[in-house]
Amino acid sequence: MYYPDHHDANRSYFAITKRETITTLIILGSIIILLLLALPAKAGERGELQKYFSDAAVAVKATDNPTEKRAILNETFQTMFAALEMAQKSELISKNDAVGINRFRAALQEKQDELAGHNGYVRVPDAQLNAFSEYVVQDTEQADQFITISVVTLLLIIILVVLLV
Amino acid sequence: MSLCYAALTALLASCSANLPVQREAQQAEDGVLPAPFMIVCVIHGDGDYLYHDTNGIEHKADEEALAGAQSIARHNPQAEVFIFHRRPREHFLFVFPRHDGEFYYYRNGRLIANELYWRDQEHSPFDPEVELYRRFREDNQRKMASIFLYCGHEIPEFGGVGYDASYPDRPFTIQDLADPLRAFTRDSARFDLMLLSTCFGGTPHTIGALGSFARYIIASPDNLHLSYFDFQPLERLDLSLGDGDVHAFAKRFARRSFDRLTREIQTAVSVSVYDVDRVQGFLRSVQGTYEQTLSTLKEQGEASMSTMEHCDCADLPAYVMPTLNEGIEVFYRPARFGRSKHKQAHSGWECWRQASTTAPKETDQR
Repeated sequence: MYYPDHHDANRSYFAITKRETITTLIILGSIIILLLLALPAKAGERGELQKYFSDAAVAVKATDNPTEKRAILNETFQTMFAALEMAQKSELISKNDAVGINRFRAALQEKQDELAGHNGYVRVPDAQLNAFSEYVVQDTEQADQFITISVVTLLLIIILVVLLV
Repeated sequence: MSLCYAALTALLASCSANLPVQREAQQAEDGVLPAPFMIVCVIHGDGDYLYHDTNGIEHKADEEALAGAQSIARHNPQAEVFIFHRRPREHFLFVFPRHDGEFYYYRNGRLIANELYWRDQEHSPFDPEVELYRRFREDNQRKMASIFLYCGHEIPEFGGVGYDASYPDRPFTIQDLADPLRAFTRDSARFDLMLLSTCFGGTPHTIGALGSFARYIIASPDNLHLSYFDFQPLERLDLSLGDGDVHAFAKRFARRSFDRLTREIQTAVSVSVYDVDRVQGFLRSVQGTYEQTLSTLKEQGEASMSTMEHCDCADLPAYVMPTLNEGIEVFYRPARFGRSKHKQAHSGWECWRQASTTAPKETDQR
């Protein structure tokens, strides 16, 4: 008959402990991965676009120089135009997405025209640039052009904006 | 392993079928003063309700509205207040569903009940709320004034698919809000005041549908910023509405919201007070035309969202008639920038028109 000696007991103890540790790590790892996967979905695609314009407005208000304020706003618009153009060329874009992007782009173009005083608009006075930057944020938050833009396309636009900034 | 046990415990707790998180001394019927005022508040939070203030700080509109409603409830020593927060449907670890509705019931300034509930149990979108309302409402109490408050995005007049982010296939239209109001109004047939804190609430169809359940409606015919109306005037209704003059109260409420919004918002601000009985003449006159437009929009389906846009009814000849301004008070300030910044007045009624393919220039605007 075989009787486990002291060394066998130790081996068995360590084997069980190791198995438990691995199981725990697998469970914890799975939970962390699941939580990480959940984050982008929870953050909200439209919210990220809003944040992009909100950050620009904060930067505009942080400087006293009107030229810098205009440069920040212009760059914000240009980056977004570039991202929208690249998104439109993607095969992921549906017809409805394209319509939504076009309307969003047209609304942004109007804002850029107004900022510069082009196409019949009176140029936004220097003293109103802070208010104008707030208007851009609030109008974007209220915009219904997003209604026809799918989540996938919004996500694509955000990724492109991040890459272009 | 203790972490795993903790996770398992949390998981099981989140799966509980009908978890009462708090329920204070069951209503304490005896010895409690009557509550002559009633507020029913529905806060829609199942969607994109994020906005940024002028300092770039993020706010969740529904959470802020909930805090505002709770403040109203705590500061009303003679009212019963029902608050329904319709939250996004979430899952723990993608599998285990969590409650997507939370209910608060206050009476005379005290929180009596706070329960989580499931929204996705019945056929009608408001069945769970109506059931909770019936369970807790004060019986046999004649109300001096009753108010219904809805906070959320523009309630679609047709289609309505996608309004609830958690239930994108389930339509929600203005009719889906109007139908359960019959259950909330009970004996009095109509609320004295309805506050529609949404974008584009002031349309002939919306006011017509909800007008069957309210004497006065406050709504925004244009966009309404997600910071919503100012709820503060709803505190201490025993003082501000003690004389029973709902119309005067409605005007004060609208004025205060308008003043606050114009201080903080650069886009257009519009707050209108509709005397429901007095606007019936206009509604009857335009009903055919407006319903025909809605039928066309329905036929176009999703495509209509790209071909049609909102506009002031006064911009459309078919709606310009002597009764246009009857029974309505409008507080309006145009957007400080953009193509509508020179528009100095709004009729208080919002309609639909073909979307302009090329944006009109500033010099072309009225």
